[in-house]
Amino acid sequence: MNCKKCYSPSTVILRKKDYYCDNCFMLITNHKFRACLGKNKVLIPYENVMIGLSGGVGSTVLLDLVHHATSLENTKKLRISPFCLHLYDDDSRELAESIIKQCQTYKIDVFVVHQAVYINSKYELPEANTLQKICESERRDFKDLMNSMPPSAANDFLLKIKRILLVEFAKKINCSVVFTAETTNTLAVNLLTNLAIGRGSQVQYDVGFCDNRDDKVKIIRPIKDISIEELNYYVSIKQLTPVNYNHIKSKSLQSVISSFVSELQDNFQATISTVCKTADKIGDQRESINSEKCLICESDLDMKNMKMSAFEATNVSRIVSLKDSQADPTYQETSDILHHMQNNTNTSVFPLINKYLCYGCSRNHSEMNLHKLPNQLQKALRTNNLGI
Amino acid sequence: MPVPCRRGCGKNAVLKRPKTGDALCKECFFWAFETEIHYTITKAELFNKGDSVAIGASGGKDSTVLAYVLKTLNQRYNYGLNLMLLSIDEGITGYRDDSLETVKQNRDDYEMPLKILSYKDLYGWTMDEIVAQIGRKNNCTFCGVFRRQALDRGAAMLGVKCIATGHNADDIAETVLMNVLRGDIARLKRCTAITTGSEGTIPRVKPLKYTYEKEIVMYAHYKKLVYFSTECVFAPNAYRGHARALLKDMEKIRPACIMDIIYSGETMSVKEEVSLPTQRTCTRCHFVSSQEVCKACVLLEGLNKGLPKLGIGKSSKAKRMLEEYNAKQAENEGTLKDAIKDLNDTSSIVARNERISGKKKSANKENNDTCNKNDCCGRSCKSNPSNVDPVTSNKKLDMLLEQFGLDDKESVKQKLNGVCDTNEDSSEVTPFNEQEEDDTCSASCGGSHIGF
Repeated sequence: MNCKKCYSPSTVILRKKDYYCDNCFMLITNHKFRACLGKNKVLIPYENVMIGLSGGVGSTVLLDLVHHATSLENTKKLRISPFCLHLYDDDSRELAESIIKQCQTYKIDVFVVHQAVYINSKYELPEANTLQKICESERRDFKDLMNSMPPSAANDFLLKIKRILLVEFAKKINCSVVFTAETTNTLAVNLLTNLAIGRGSQVQYDVGFCDNRDDKVKIIRPIKDISIEELNYYVSIKQLTPVNYNHIKSKSLQSVISSFVSELQDNFQATISTVCKTADKIGDQRESINSEKCLICESDLDMKNMKMSAFEATNVSRIVSLKDSQADPTYQETSDILHHMQNNTNTSVFPLINKYLCYGCSRNHSEMNLHKLPNQLQKALRTNNLGI
Repeated sequence: MPVPCRRGCGKNAVLKRPKTGDALCKECFFWAFETEIHYTITKAELFNKGDSVAIGASGGKDSTVLAYVLKTLNQRYNYGLNLMLLSIDEGITGYRDDSLETVKQNRDDYEMPLKILSYKDLYGWTMDEIVAQIGRKNNCTFCGVFRRQALDRGAAMLGVKCIATGHNADDIAETVLMNVLRGDIARLKRCTAITTGSEGTIPRVKPLKYTYEKEIVMYAHYKKLVYFSTECVFAPNAYRGHARALLKDMEKIRPACIMDIIYSGETMSVKEEVSLPTQRTCTRCHFVSSQEVCKACVLLEGLNKGLPKLGIGKSSKAKRMLEEYNAKQAENEGTLKDAIKDLNDTSSIVARNERISGKKKSANKENNDTCNKNDCCGRSCKSNPSNVDPVTSNKKLDMLLEQFGLDDKESVKQKLNGVCDTNEDSSEVTPFNEQEEDDTCSASCGGSHIGF
């Protein structure tokens, strides 16, 4: 078979049916990256941009794409000053070291931050191109925290922590934009995951092109239209060396969804692109800028006006399943149950919801050991809770 | 070790509620289960006092429990509803014929009037005949589209204010996932609504929207309700199966995720710039449609012309198909005239159908491969029919009992060991739960209309 575009012998087969040669394929992939940045118009020339690197295929290619685009000497040159950030933990020291090497080949500075700094929210910029040192107690507390909850909650919580760290460290180096390297595959999985953990209203931030929940720092996803299949070809053509490392805990919603999606993609080649197209249509403009934000994920707590919601239904289930302190437990009138719910927020399944936490974070909160949470977060939640 | 009931009534618990994890005794479970549905009905204002309500009854667990609970609550809380049962006979041998017997049993037990409408009478085709044409794939599309309209027609005949269907929480969560996988943004937007229906149509309500399938099965079991629990013989190939499989896997990890998915669906919004199809009425049959001609009419036209795939897939394909068909017809002047006559004459569907049954043979030749498949695994293989007694061989229930029942009865345990294999539950499909969304090629997928 020959390349669809230039009719020379093909070397790349996408979606089991589209043939390309190396050159045309690289052009297309580069174009996808540039088109994604171009049409969304968030970048201002000469801006400082922080690239979040995980070491996987996506981030390896993203780094290469950025390097390629910034080293062009024509009108198409991408005018940004890139910095890199990698978040490591105890199990991935070797990965962190190879990322430093990777960045050195491109002559871009990388800051390697330990995830455990979240515990004390001490966000001090480490020396570039070295592993950040961290004290033993923080390291242990962080491990305890992550182990204090079931895998599904831990996976989700870790994503939120990484998001906070990216934003905070971007501020430290005066970057108002962060690039992350989610591919179509990751985003399809993330969309389904978001739905499965009650974060349907946050889809546009977690899966869309731009997460602007923070006022100062935008997180954008420039390779969101490129699939893992294409990235693998890119890596092999350019002979890059990604360090594969799967950070999703198994036996979790995330792992189940991830294997489901790749299986379905094998049988129905349109699955992932369909799911991502759906994601693009979900979301709306922010209604009010001044609304309260979730203390963990920074999402708006504004509630849609609903006659009845699944949260309310779960709460009702809880109330009718509990021993009742009142004399008349028959709940003849619906208003009795409503009344009970309003007066006994402590029996609610999610006591902090819509005041301090969003639904998804409330779910995690209900499954974790609260004493392991970072002190300042515990304090914020506790004082606020008592203050009701 | 016996676990005490969480409500503190002193009795031992018989089950652990999947939604909240609380253990309840039988009596408290009944009470909690019913009270929750009562709460949903009143809080979401599903009915008005004095309304006539048709319950979409398939004979399956959901609609049986719905009929029973609505009857109970109607009496207990004085809703003043006039309840009746509405069943659709799709004409599926070895499945619907048996389940209708169950519905008739419900009619007698709950003393409600019952109306049965059949596909044969409404459309001139039974599902058995349709499957013989279309094969084992895409057949749920026909069934779902036709049932949706059939329910509307039935409700109109009965003169009711609304139709209550037995969709449970699992069904809704499954539908959310399926609509994401299929990219059907219009349905994704409306599928979590507890009441659906626009002006001029009879609204549908889902009182069991927040009720777990597991609890419905347990409720029916402990109440010893009679229901039909065989999977539809044609269902296994439906696309919905993928979403169902995913949901079951996720539920094992975190049972509350069903509610979380519904919550996601409820709070998610669609970007303003996304254009959604507007609802209107079909120019041919005058029932609700998002296109000029509704899906039911397109599908029916395809069947009657011997082009069963006409309504499956993109509407551009359908157009091409029709053009080819018309070209072929043009070769034979006589047949063309016949077809035009057919088109103009909508009143005598049955008569037309008799004429067409002659044509069907040639159509069968065209669809040779699908028909072959059909001969070997289609109509001939019926699953073991008619097991009306829910207790004797309901594997699913046994599994649930094992998972969630804190059974104090040794006998149940023994039975579990004997009967329950560890295979995945061959979860029965509740027919009334697919009507709105199982239409695998959405009516909204193409902007263009098909004219005949």
